[in-house]
Amino acid sequence: MNETLITLDSLSIGYNGQSVLSGISLSIARDSLSAILGENGSGKSTLLKTLLGLLPPVSGRIETKSNTGKPLIFGYVPQSTQFDQLYLLTGFDVALMGTYGRVRPGRIVPQAERAFTHECLRAAGAEEFAYKRFAELSGGQKQRVLIARALTARPDVLMLDEPTAGVDHAATHAVMEFISQLRTERRITVLLVTHDFAVVRHYAEQIIWLCQGKVLQGTADELLTPKQMAEILEMEAD
Amino acid sequence: METLQQILSPDFLLRNSVYTSVLVGFCCPLVGVYLVLRRLVFMGVALPQISSTGVAIALSLPLWLGYMTAHSSQSEHILAFTGSMVFSITAILLLAFLGRHGRGFPEGRLGVAYVVSSALSVLLLAKNPYGEIGLLDLLKGEIITVSNLDLMLTAAALALVIAALALFHKEILLVSFDRAMAITLGKNVVFWDVLLYLLIGVTVSMAVLSVGPLIAFGFLLIPALTSHMFARNMRQFTILASLLGGATAFVGFCIAYQWDLPVGPTDVVFLGVLYAIGWIITKLLHGNISPKSREG
Repeated sequence: MNETLITLDSLSIGYNGQSVLSGISLSIARDSLSAILGENGSGKSTLLKTLLGLLPPVSGRIETKSNTGKPLIFGYVPQSTQFDQLYLLTGFDVALMGTYGRVRPGRIVPQAERAFTHECLRAAGAEEFAYKRFAELSGGQKQRVLIARALTARPDVLMLDEPTAGVDHAATHAVMEFISQLRTERRITVLLVTHDFAVVRHYAEQIIWLCQGKVLQGTADELLTPKQMAEILEMEAD
Repeated sequence: METLQQILSPDFLLRNSVYTSVLVGFCCPLVGVYLVLRRLVFMGVALPQISSTGVAIALSLPLWLGYMTAHSSQSEHILAFTGSMVFSITAILLLAFLGRHGRGFPEGRLGVAYVVSSALSVLLLAKNPYGEIGLLDLLKGEIITVSNLDLMLTAAALALVIAALALFHKEILLVSFDRAMAITLGKNVVFWDVLLYLLIGVTVSMAVLSVGPLIAFGFLLIPALTSHMFARNMRQFTILASLLGGATAFVGFCIAYQWDLPVGPTDVVFLGVLYAIGWIITKLLHGNISPKSREG
């Protein structure tokens, strides 16, 4: 087991000071691929947003351990359906946004960063449609562009919110294979929110299961046993 | 042709009005693009009206306080500028804040703000013998004589807006397109939102003072909406909207001068005609109009 990268200590998460899930204490190992599971409304996306700093914790602590001494850089892959179709942006324009964290306001994006964006699009298998309108891409193509954008941020942690939602079986497999490969090659810690048990069973090393206000953490072998799953699904049904 | 020669002549009496209209025509769509992208079209309707109410209140203040016995155009202009700027910027910041944090119905708030400010402008107009002529012209979108100083001030303010938009377009675009991503990249989203709203507020104020609320609204939104139908990327979208606004302002002025029409309504109707033509062209190009409806 690798060293711990992120530790949550008695964390309570929610909106406007109102807790939706509390008492979360768990750790995420460096270079691991963890999946957050749970039914709709269980707090999966809220947890992801809190880890990203988009929502303040209601109480408790989040500790991160960076090798460089600088704050961790998060690459965020939101659901591709959330973007407004009015924006006349190509896949390349969207992916280039990931570099903006390193380019000072008022400066033009340097050529080296543009070349790096092309490299990330290539790595994500999105170069072929990089100059097509983002709004006109298929669900799987959008996911690849958004993964490329997360990579252009040069992240320590890649956080994905239902990366295979609305994506067909073949594309799901391709996207997950690519994420898995990235983790190994670039030593990136991956945390993904998903509903897809097949994805979790096949790719996740750690599972964080949010269920009826409880947080269970374990490996796929520990949590995805028929007995354990029956108990959890029964709790969810209650 | 003769009209064009007259308008382009250096001795033309209303040349500063032409320059101001064209400047407003070029600049308004640049911020209008963000109103369209952020789906704040109703804000584009309400803001110029609120701004003109600010002008009406500012011009009425001395009367209420018993200071004004005779008015000078210079002091009136300073008052109008202050009122317009204060109301525009306060309104956009407040409405944007309520839109993000407030409960209820944002379109409802904008509708109430629009109708109340319109009514208030008329009431103030009815009770202000000094500001009446200028304010009525402003609300109708009549040609108003613009001094060299006013033209310079308008040009300087709008140049500032254009420079800020050009310099910070990537930050403003990022925060508009994906706020969450901007936060994860360490961007101060509140700062960039406020900057954009200030730029919109300044543009609306200058436009309302120069050409009135009706034409300000027209130039904020219609060129951007028309351009969106044809542009392939953000750069084309912005440049085409701006060029369309500037060109329409000039042609509209020529039409109004030729047939002795009020400039504001002429410009807006002309923009509306261009929008309708654009809509028909895109429908024909994309085959969304059935042969039957084409014949009909």
